[in-house]
Amino acid sequence: MKGLHGIIFSYETRNDLRELGELRSASSVPFGGRYRAVDFALSNLVNAGVTDVGVVLHGRYQSMIDHLGTGKEWDLSRKRGGLKILPPFNYRQNWGVLPFRGKIEALAEVRTYLDTIRQDYVALMDGDLVVNLPLQEIFTQHLQSGADITAVCGNDSFETDNGTYFEMDHSGRITDVLFNMNHPRGYRGLEVYIISTQLLKDVVDECSGRDMFSWRRDVLLAGKDRLNISSYVWNGFAAQIRSVKEYYDRSMQLLDPEIRSELFCPERPIIAKGADKSSAYVGPDGVCINSLVAEGCRIEGAVENSILFPGVVVEKGCVIRNCVLFKETAVRENAQLSYVITDKNVEILRDRTLMGHASYPLVISKGSKI
Amino acid sequence: MKKECIAMLLAGGQGSRLYVLTGDMAKPAVPFGGKYRIIDFPLSNCSNSGIDTVGVLTQYRPLELNSYIGSGQPWDLDVTTGGVHILPPYMGSKGGTWYKGTANAIYQNIGFIDMYDPEYVVILSGDHIYKMDYSQMITRHKEANAACTISVMEVPWDEAPRFGIMSVNDEDMITEFAEKPKEPKSNLASMGIYVFSWKVLRQYLTDDEADPTSENDFGKNIIPGMLRDGQRMAAYRFEGYWKDVGTLESLWDANMDMLSIESGLDVADESWPIYARSLSAPPAFLGRTAVVKHSAFNRGSYINGTVENSVLSPDVTVGEGARVSYSVVLPGTVIEPGAVVEYAILGEGCRVGKNCRVGAAPETTAPESWGLTVLAPHCELADERVVRPGVMLDRAGEEVSK
Repeated sequence: MKGLHGIIFSYETRNDLRELGELRSASSVPFGGRYRAVDFALSNLVNAGVTDVGVVLHGRYQSMIDHLGTGKEWDLSRKRGGLKILPPFNYRQNWGVLPFRGKIEALAEVRTYLDTIRQDYVALMDGDLVVNLPLQEIFTQHLQSGADITAVCGNDSFETDNGTYFEMDHSGRITDVLFNMNHPRGYRGLEVYIISTQLLKDVVDECSGRDMFSWRRDVLLAGKDRLNISSYVWNGFAAQIRSVKEYYDRSMQLLDPEIRSELFCPERPIIAKGADKSSAYVGPDGVCINSLVAEGCRIEGAVENSILFPGVVVEKGCVIRNCVLFKETAVRENAQLSYVITDKNVEILRDRTLMGHASYPLVISKGSKI
Repeated sequence: MKKECIAMLLAGGQGSRLYVLTGDMAKPAVPFGGKYRIIDFPLSNCSNSGIDTVGVLTQYRPLELNSYIGSGQPWDLDVTTGGVHILPPYMGSKGGTWYKGTANAIYQNIGFIDMYDPEYVVILSGDHIYKMDYSQMITRHKEANAACTISVMEVPWDEAPRFGIMSVNDEDMITEFAEKPKEPKSNLASMGIYVFSWKVLRQYLTDDEADPTSENDFGKNIIPGMLRDGQRMAAYRFEGYWKDVGTLESLWDANMDMLSIESGLDVADESWPIYARSLSAPPAFLGRTAVVKHSAFNRGSYINGTVENSVLSPDVTVGEGARVSYSVVLPGTVIEPGAVVEYAILGEGCRVGKNCRVGAAPETTAPESWGLTVLAPHCELADERVVRPGVMLDRAGEEVSK
């Protein structure tokens, strides 16, 4: 069957998400006032006409399973195909105690699933990538170029935790694959790849038989001369949620209308779960500027340069600056917060003052009361 | 598939007193309270009350309503047996007619109701804003061993002549019904919400249909007929917020009520959520020059001006230096920089050009010439245009009378 199948990697990986990753993998970190990171990968796929998506999980995936449900928000609750949640199948019967060391190992653990893929091509994506790619166009380019693998890269060498970087020749063919570098160079890999289903199964079988587990080392780097690995360079916004710092900086970029209109372009909507909350409300004495405010928020104090997820309460006399407040955060009277990220259901009691810094935003764990 | 109780929602009315707002859609599809449409209230009430089978009777311009309801998923009504069904009039072997009245609409769907063989049928209107647990009303119906139970609320005595008024005995059984009485004997007003024992109602509907002089209306024919025959009719007292939003003024009032929890309309109370179908848009953005006071706003909106005492739907833009006060702005409307909108209802997809003045506060206007200013959906105002208070404009921007 012609067409594209989606596989999203949402297993636990090395990251520097501190408190944000205590209870969840990077893919289910809330982002942008109403999304989870994985909503972007899912929406990218669905907007390109993908009907079947597998999500590979391993470790701290309760939050992810809650979020995905049956996939109906993304129209992926289907009789045939649709969303498949893929915890480790224990292909090697080690009962999935050890975390996946790489994508190939993850795919080897769900090897039987790969045989059920109906489509001839697969898009591999990371669940921690926040982007709005024209995936249909990338797929078309892949088919026309005759490449074995197309790797999507950002047009920068931005340092991201555990990043992959590519060097390419003038035709866009990838000539080198770099990772674990002190000073990144080349094009930042977005960990989005298009590959034929057959080739994917072949490389997984070849590698897993030799205990080779790394996609970038054992497939891309080792095969760069044998395989035609082509690139697609994306010039727009692309964030990889791998550290608190990157999370914070990338969140704040959303206050720029141009970045917002690109990431949330109406022709490729990013689909999230609804919150079933009422309209947001600013009270008679509330002040709210340069901020994103989701539904169900009640603002009676002052909010500036911040992102408020659904149901956040900011009481009278509060001053909230440069903060990201997750769902149902309650900030009681006269509290002052700056450069703070509060996880879900955090309560900041009256008169408290919490200050982080742009270089080290303070993160308050889910459900804490301060 | 037998169900103990199903609901029938009357959503076919044109809503002619909402004028231009219902030019393209049935009244229940009109947006309300920022993120809702009027029909979200009865549908959410059904869902929260444990009623999973709802027939929605449509007739006037149903396309918007049909696509809004869809599979019923936002209200959790996409169940395998039952769920929400759109019921337009249809042809039978002996022909067919439009719904002639509220009772005739139910009569024409006896076949639908019989499929579920229910003990009770709840009859609802698609133009009321309220939160109500129908299961309590059904309990009252059973306990009173009634054939019909009517939901009533106390209204101020001076307003009673505007309602259908019920007189009750000391067991709250209805003894008398008077439609808009000049001298009311009671201040218990019917809210237009009924529970019937289906066997009894089925017979009355059939008899009513056979009566050529009948207007086939619940309030005018069925209820008085049952009272005359001495059927057991119970009153169910409702306390809480309830408003018929059939007029522009009451629609505006109810929107303003939503801003203040003291009004009794608390849509944020999560023990009784009101569900809505929502669009995929990022959270609202309030820009550096935004001043928002006592106002509600929604997804996809971009506010850079002043918004006071107003309710903004999703995807609304308020430009820098623009001011919106005491207004209800429906989805997708753009208010350009410098424009002033006061005491107005702006329909979906309107554009208010730069420095326009739409409406005015009652304090600044002679009382006899003041009124809400209303723009029809997709009405576009050229820059600098002034629209006087009380004026209503159609889609082309021409004045039409209320």
